[in-house]
Amino acid sequence: MIDQINLLAIVLMASVTYLTRIGGYVMLRNRTLSPRATAVMEAAPGCVLISVIAPDFVSDNPADLLALAITVLAATRLSMLPTVIVGIASAGVLRHLLG
Amino acid sequence: MSVSQATLSDRAEGGSGSEFWRGMRSCTPVLLGIVPYALVLGAQAAQKGLSPVEVPLMTGLNFAGGSEFAAIQLWTSPPHVLLIVAITFLVNSRHLLMGAALAPFLRHLPRRKVFPALFLMCDESWALGLADARKRAAAGSGPAFSLPYYAGASIPFYLAWVVFTGLGGALGPVLGDVEAYGFDMAFPAVFLVLLAGMWKGVAAARPWLVSLVVAAIVYLLVPGAWYVAAGALSGLVAAYVLAGEA
Repeated sequence: MIDQINLLAIVLMASVTYLTRIGGYVMLRNRTLSPRATAVMEAAPGCVLISVIAPDFVSDNPADLLALAITVLAATRLSMLPTVIVGIASAGVLRHLLG
Repeated sequence: MSVSQATLSDRAEGGSGSEFWRGMRSCTPVLLGIVPYALVLGAQAAQKGLSPVEVPLMTGLNFAGGSEFAAIQLWTSPPHVLLIVAITFLVNSRHLLMGAALAPFLRHLPRRKVFPALFLMCDESWALGLADARKRAAAGSGPAFSLPYYAGASIPFYLAWVVFTGLGGALGPVLGDVEAYGFDMAFPAVFLVLLAGMWKGVAAARPWLVSLVVAAIVYLLVPGAWYVAAGALSGLVAAYVLAGEA
């Protein structure tokens, strides 16, 4: 039920995550970050998230690209659940039509 | 978990029971929103080969949804441990800033309470806790940060996350291929909504564009999951350079 390498990955993930949670409190409570360091830290999560989904932006399937465009539009206007529904429905329908 | 719950529910402060309920009430709308999100994560994790025990183990120990979605996208059998840990750190590096912002309101609390409390710090509980602490500080009512309020806002969230990702993991194999019919679009959709929530204008988003372009090019040219690290790092370099210009 528990693979050793999976367990190792999970425990290390959890450890670095907990370090990020206490790190700000422990190290930064009596200091202020430079504006430059703050800018890098603020950009970091977005840079990672967009890098993870970058392959979707260069898909060779027109139906997927169109569905992604619709989902991007939905994400700028709607909250989590409706956006996910719009994304799934548009991908499902467009793949069926253009497939 | 039982340790942190016991510590957080400590009745050292007056009226902590009602404070706990006040926290629970304020987190209820967010709770409803994460249920489908948790089910999809669990189902996708099951499809990547995580067992029904490993899924809640990951979400219960790590408890940071964005990093778990990113990790599952990259999960192989066996997983690239270093890549997954590095990406987890990058996605969760925002916690460093969040903890620093919260620190001034935590000075009246002993570390034996702060450390378990910070385990439960996620975007939602942090936002609720900080907003409440600022309100109380402005009103001048006692210690600014109410630990029982924070416990009420974060513990149900934690339990819901672990239970529903676990349920998604257990049901995933029954549901079959979640990528059929367009369910795979749930991931970009979730990420795009998270990005929209972080949006602070075009200028602040320039590093994201650098990341997107570099990651896409590396994905097309280099086999394997290197595109994530390449895209993320080039975005950070861009953020560093652009901040120097300002």
